[in-house]
Amino acid sequence: MIELKNVTKYFRVGFFGNKKNAVKDLSLNIEEGQVTGFFGPNGAGKSTTIKMIVGLINPSVGGIKINGYDASDYRARLKLGYLPESPSFPRGLKGIEIISYYSNLLNIRASKDAIDEALKSAGIFHAKNIQAHKYSKGMTQRLALAISILGDPEILIFDEPLSGLDPIGRKEFKDIIFKLKERKKTIFFSSHVLADSKELCDRIAVLVNGRLIKNKDVAEIEKEAEAYSEERKDNSLTGEYNTPLEIYLYDLMLKSGKN
Amino acid sequence: MEKILYGAMYSFKEIKSSKIFYSFLIFALILISGSYFVSQTSFINQGRIMVDFSIFAISIFNIFIGIFIGSSVVYDDIEKKSVFLALTRPIRRTQYLIGRFLGLAAAIIFSTIIMMLIFYFVLLIMHKFIVPAMPVVKTVRHAIKPPLAGSMPFTLYSLPQPLIIQGFFIIIESVFISAAALLFSLVTSKALASIFAILVFFIGNVSSRMNDLIKPVRKVINGKTVTVHQANHTLAAIVHFIYTVLPNFSLFNISSEAAYKISVSGGGISYRIIYGICYTALLFVISSLIFASKDIA
Repeated sequence: MIELKNVTKYFRVGFFGNKKNAVKDLSLNIEEGQVTGFFGPNGAGKSTTIKMIVGLINPSVGGIKINGYDASDYRARLKLGYLPESPSFPRGLKGIEIISYYSNLLNIRASKDAIDEALKSAGIFHAKNIQAHKYSKGMTQRLALAISILGDPEILIFDEPLSGLDPIGRKEFKDIIFKLKERKKTIFFSSHVLADSKELCDRIAVLVNGRLIKNKDVAEIEKEAEAYSEERKDNSLTGEYNTPLEIYLYDLMLKSGKN
Repeated sequence: MEKILYGAMYSFKEIKSSKIFYSFLIFALILISGSYFVSQTSFINQGRIMVDFSIFAISIFNIFIGIFIGSSVVYDDIEKKSVFLALTRPIRRTQYLIGRFLGLAAAIIFSTIIMMLIFYFVLLIMHKFIVPAMPVVKTVRHAIKPPLAGSMPFTLYSLPQPLIIQGFFIIIESVFISAAALLFSLVTSKALASIFAILVFFIGNVSSRMNDLIKPVRKVINGKTVTVHQANHTLAAIVHFIYTVLPNFSLFNISSEAAYKISVSGGGISYRIIYGICYTALLFVISSLIFASKDIA
């Protein structure tokens, strides 16, 4: 389980090092075996929150625990897989060399078969002997996915996993998430694409301007969305967003962003 | 420990296939091979000119590898975000940094060995400056049973001791400056880190000479021995401070000894090795502390 308690993160900006809050007093529990979608507009603080969870950034205030360990402790990442937004790999190394390095870092000494299996499941097996810097964006994303699911981690954290993928890639990626969901993995993924919300998530958290404005089960939010839809007369967004849930989340972000 | 070794292997592979690394390596090899032509400009001491020129090429290109790759090895990982996947594995940041640094050190050792081998073959072909490796030949002769004993078809040659030691010092010096470049790259941009490292290297090479220049000297004036200060106290203090704080890279330059085949004493070698390793370790510890608390966004 992942537990964020009163987490605030500010960065120093400008010549005088003025504080600029990226995340403000965020408290959130990510439950085991659930898929939690983390939604919000660009610049809401989603990636900063995820980077704090995986230990890349230290919170300015508050604490984050993963399975009882502080997020900065390497043991917190023993059963954690992370897929960054726009992953990249060093030049000159082949896909198979990269994946074998990461499996060694996990101390799992993955056999050739296990590595091949991870590459196949991510749909990148055919390109294993090609240098990773020659991969397309989709292939790079798949290689990063293969790395994140190495060692069969219990917790998977995906930062904008579907961004930049073509429709086929999106579909295949979603299928992988569905398979992981069936295996009761704890999945936390960020997205600003509201269409991903209902089909993938058990729970939805919405972050706007660094503040958590919603954190509920999908069923509960759907009820709220239905009620909101009945109240709302204006259907001008119907072209972009088709379901009451999408419209509700859109309006929620828009209103909270203005406040 | 295993994670560090895997990191070092991965880092070495990456550096070995980087353009900047093999560009410097090829340039150095061209210069070393061309040292013969440079030596032809002189009628005397052609071997010494070859040695001077080649040692300079080996040293400067390894320093460049140390500075330019040292300043980018972690900086690029952060900039290109390739560090994300590694640091979100169950690995300590220090382990990651050690792995990267050892990979860089291995690349420097690799390039120095390649350069020294080419240098050796150039000297061997020109039959200049090499010495018969007597102890080795003797051992071989003892090991071989008659009737082959005493009739070796060839003589083994090696580089003289100071040249081998110089090669070893080049490795220490390059690893040392790469540690400085790595440290700078963690607190500033890659370009600035390279510039700072070059400045440190330059000042480190001239600081001991400057310190000698400002030292008070004793002169005999009107029959009396007096101590004369050659610079004012402020300037002397500044130069002495720079000399004390910044690393003294001139210690690792024994090209004069190498050119005149003067053996370097064991004590001198040990002192320089310990100095280099301690300073490198100190710079690495500071880098490690900075990296451990750095926000990687």
